[in-house]
Amino acid sequence: MKKEKILRYIFLLAASVAILTIFLILIFIAAKGVPLFFKVPLGKFLFGMDWSPTKGHFGAFPLLVGSFLVTAGAVAIGAPLGVAVAIFLSEIASPKVANLIRPTVELLAGIPSVIYGFFGIMIIIPLVRNLIGGAGFGLISASLVLAIMILPTIAALTEDTLRSIPKAHKWGSLALGATQWQTIKRVILPSASEGIFSAIILGVGRAIGETMAVLMVVGNAPIIPTSLKDPFSTMTSVIALDMSYASGQHQQALFALALILFIISMFLVAMLRLVSHKRSS
Amino acid sequence: MDMKILPRNLNKSLCILLVTLSPLSLVTGCRKAESESDKRLSSRVTIVGSSTLLPIIQAASEEYVKDYKGAKVDVQGGGSSVGIESVINGTANIGMSSREPKPEEMKKGIVKTAVAVDAIAIIVDRDNHVDTLTSEQARKIFSGEITNWNMIGGRDQEIILVNRDEASGTREAFTKLLMGNEDFLKKAIIQPGSGQVRSIVGGTPGGIGYLSRGYVNKEVKVVALDGVKPSISAIKKGNYPLSRTLYLITKGKPKGLIKDFIDYVLSPKVQHEIVGTAYEPIIEVNE
Repeated sequence: MKKEKILRYIFLLAASVAILTIFLILIFIAAKGVPLFFKVPLGKFLFGMDWSPTKGHFGAFPLLVGSFLVTAGAVAIGAPLGVAVAIFLSEIASPKVANLIRPTVELLAGIPSVIYGFFGIMIIIPLVRNLIGGAGFGLISASLVLAIMILPTIAALTEDTLRSIPKAHKWGSLALGATQWQTIKRVILPSASEGIFSAIILGVGRAIGETMAVLMVVGNAPIIPTSLKDPFSTMTSVIALDMSYASGQHQQALFALALILFIISMFLVAMLRLVSHKRSS
Repeated sequence: MDMKILPRNLNKSLCILLVTLSPLSLVTGCRKAESESDKRLSSRVTIVGSSTLLPIIQAASEEYVKDYKGAKVDVQGGGSSVGIESVINGTANIGMSSREPKPEEMKKGIVKTAVAVDAIAIIVDRDNHVDTLTSEQARKIFSGEITNWNMIGGRDQEIILVNRDEASGTREAFTKLLMGNEDFLKKAIIQPGSGQVRSIVGGTPGGIGYLSRGYVNKEVKVVALDGVKPSISAIKKGNYPLSRTLYLITKGKPKGLIKDFIDYVLSPKVQHEIVGTAYEPIIEVNE
């Protein structure tokens, strides 16, 4: 019984490490980032249009918009694709085929992001360049790269949800004479909607935080893009690009961006909790 | 049987625990090793900074390590500002800079040693018909006033600008030498290294960018500026408008192995055989 007690404390310790780390990160980011707002008002930081940090202009609005745009683009492409993959794996494919495709999709999640970025530069950017002109850097390339990156997250979670739906629902629908497509559309997808929603939120979280691959394909101009050909920046790409040399207020501004990202992911986790809580009760 | 299962489970959980805690022990382990090797640190030089200087300093360091067994030299890019910042905060022994250190940086106790004179080449993609630009045209292209190659005698093709990031010494020098008070077009693509600028300009029809002449290769075409190509002889004569000095930066006067390495870079052998292949050797300027 003594062993039991010791083990319990060891695991408690492990759990505390996780919580402590989160708190330390939050305190560190806030301590480094918040002092900026004594010099640059919060409103000017959030809604300012001019990001020229070495000249002392810290308008982060273009970066916020950039992060929002790539995330929206990635979800617009990646979510339907991911859900379709999940429907295929759980409803249509034979177990043999599914067991072949599932690990392949899961493998996508294990590829390092710098390789996605490299793939973007070598394959997607020339393709986009030939298609719409310009240099190929920008929203289309970044959305495509990110869509592939969030595909496994959305597909795996959606498939889990689809499989957890009681088989009786499906059989009932088929027995009433509904076709397979009618069953998927009218019975399976509606009862899985909350699970799919959580899957998409996790996809959003991955897309908004992705750094390396995005940095390599967005083009990094600190502007709000007015056409699909325009390069732009995201919060993460700016942090990664500038952190190695930023000092003083510029460094504080980067930590302020990190704080915004932290708040966004807290918000996403809270939303996830809310959805799963609603589902379980 | 129960007796057997318990220890096995215990082993498993201990295993997991060890795996989760191992990064921690690694960190503390490293700390210790570092403080013990403080003496050996003097035989190791870390060099960080400008991607313009990177190829020649890399080549020089490889030769240096061959001649001086036991010395270790690490060379990394990142940009001139990264190099200077790293020397100031002590994470690097030598910074490479392709721009003059700013007065507020000099105040923090750094010392610059000139090692070469470089020219910034303006590059376009190889199919571009334009061979020469005036300074005025170049300025208008990079500020976004001229947006199509047909406005300066080329074919009807949109101009696609590729700029460097703000850590870049090349960007700073280009701003000072050419742009003056004009701002860069904000819509330009920004890349963190000379190599990326080269491959994007080379692969994009209508592309234009700038980089150190040491980075020019067959992927891109160099345009003359005011009728002068950035050749070493043009830099020597002072005809090419975009010339600048390249520096190695140290905290205080260089000492020990750091001084030894800088002296090595300034030796006639390295200056002519390595530096001279891409830039004008500084020893010829001083003559």
